[in-house]
Amino acid sequence: MLLKLGWKNIVKRPLSSGLSVVLLSCSIMIIVLASLTMQQLQNKFDENANKIDLVVGAKGSRLQMVLCNVFHIDNPTGNIKFNDVEFLSKHPFVKSAIPISLGDSYKSYRIVGTELSYINDLYNASLNKGRLFDNTLEVVAGAGVANQLDLKIGDRFYGSHGIEESIHDHDNFEYELVGILNSSGEIIDNLLLTSLESVWDVHPEDHQKGSFDLREEHEDHHHHHHEHSKEEFRNDKEITAILINYNSPRAKFSIPGLVNKKQQMMAAEPAIEIQQLLELVQPAIKVVTVLAWFIFGLAFISMVITMINSMKDRKYEIAMMRVAGASYKMVLIATLIEGFMIALIGSLLGVLFGHSLMELMGGYLTLSYHYQFTGLIYHPFEFWLIFGTLITGMVSALFPAISAYKMDISITLKDKI
Amino acid sequence: MIKTRDLSVLYGSQKIDFPDLLLSEGDQILITGNSGSGKTSFLSLIGGLVTPNTGFVEINGQNISLLSSSKADKFRGNQLGFVFQTPHFVKSLDVQDNLLLNQYLVKKYDYDHLDNLLKKVDLLNKKKSLVNQLSEGEKQRISIVRALINKPKIVLADEPTSALDDQSCDNIVTLLKDLSEQNDAILIIVTHDKRLKDKFKNHIELDAS
Repeated sequence: MLLKLGWKNIVKRPLSSGLSVVLLSCSIMIIVLASLTMQQLQNKFDENANKIDLVVGAKGSRLQMVLCNVFHIDNPTGNIKFNDVEFLSKHPFVKSAIPISLGDSYKSYRIVGTELSYINDLYNASLNKGRLFDNTLEVVAGAGVANQLDLKIGDRFYGSHGIEESIHDHDNFEYELVGILNSSGEIIDNLLLTSLESVWDVHPEDHQKGSFDLREEHEDHHHHHHEHSKEEFRNDKEITAILINYNSPRAKFSIPGLVNKKQQMMAAEPAIEIQQLLELVQPAIKVVTVLAWFIFGLAFISMVITMINSMKDRKYEIAMMRVAGASYKMVLIATLIEGFMIALIGSLLGVLFGHSLMELMGGYLTLSYHYQFTGLIYHPFEFWLIFGTLITGMVSALFPAISAYKMDISITLKDKI
Repeated sequence: MIKTRDLSVLYGSQKIDFPDLLLSEGDQILITGNSGSGKTSFLSLIGGLVTPNTGFVEINGQNISLLSSSKADKFRGNQLGFVFQTPHFVKSLDVQDNLLLNQYLVKKYDYDHLDNLLKKVDLLNKKKSLVNQLSEGEKQRISIVRALINKPKIVLADEPTSALDDQSCDNIVTLLKDLSEQNDAILIIVTHDKRLKDKFKNHIELDAS
């Protein structure tokens, strides 16, 4: 009965309770959205950054190198000679050294030239269909790419030079899709993988430059190919970066130094770069969060005012209930229930909207960050958020509840309007 | 049974004394007086809404000023029914829920009794209406039903007819008298409405002195 009373009191005053609910759910939606985005960004960044101990590539921005070669977001810093880094794979402190070579894309999805260990060891990805690449120009697609582009085994396509939408196509080199990976929720889902040799075949002239800009036109693309002898070609093959994992904690102190001593090369630890990046982003998220709490404060004030007003309207109703045998306690509880209900509706709607919006925006974020964002995950923080809101709702009902509690029935009933 | 002895209240610095009452089951009494004579205070004393300055009220042998606050609430809900000049209801609830609310407060549900009373005031068809959609006369009839919903031993009515026209006035008084009688409840009406004078055998007039 008290529940029904509380519910009806809310429903019969749709404007004022509506305002409280809207304010409350908006603030909670923003808080949830901000925390979900930050949390997923951080998780995915950390997760992937921790997979790789060190990235070695051409000199430039360390952050750019990490973003490019680990997260496949930014452009490459340049190329390095495979020969120059080969000593790393033989170093006793190095567990694995996986070279990658970037340069082309297909419909804005990157074609990554690498070794099979990138798939098997680094990302532990399993095949869903087909087989792994074996010969040049054979491609394995991540689950996300295959799904988005509706690719099937046996599909043939031309890569475009550069990472963004087509600058020009490599018409002479047709890739063939031989395998599709299972979805792992990781970056590899959104990549097309092929052998290093495939990339070298498509980009023979790049070896003569110290670095290359992916957006640059390469008019004279294929003309030099035949001029290189096979031998020469192998000797100074180039890669974009090499991804290193240590097998000894001591490596951390020796390997980066070894690399940085060399000209045209540098080493960057993904974990450190990402930490710095997140520290850059965090203040922005904080501003949004402060804004959300500000709205939350408004919602609180609006609830208090709404409740106090409704109590004024209902002074006689409450006096009547007291006359009919309702105790102080019952009046108090009835009022608290009302605040509780508004808070419950507001917070549930807020969480629901927050997650739905996240899910909607997930597609957009996936495009720009190259991994899946979702609104369908739950964060324990949300439980506390709802819990806190319910408490807030009841606290906002407390002021009017106490005034109802203190009301003198006989005096209230004496002033008969 | 109601017994009052030496009741008085302080109204500012002014002390108002009230006559002693002794009423038993089925009695009906009209208390009149000019404004300021303390009619409403007298009724509030009997209903336990106000603590007396001196004296006591005994209902069925129980001195009601001695009850703890929560027991007094329970006692009021079970034993007393109130009708006021302006009937107030919970606006967001319909007629039936308003009446059920009163039953809920004493944890005694009796749907038959509810329907029965509504039938007697000829408002069974308004059971699902919001209270605000009723006329003043209808509201007052519903408030009589509410006063009797928990089968109280005593019905206290404060100016129940002052806001009504002659016909409604007659109607309300008849209902109050009949329904109280059928429920073996004592009926006490305080009013300055002179139209009621010849409708009651027992009549006390309070002095403003």
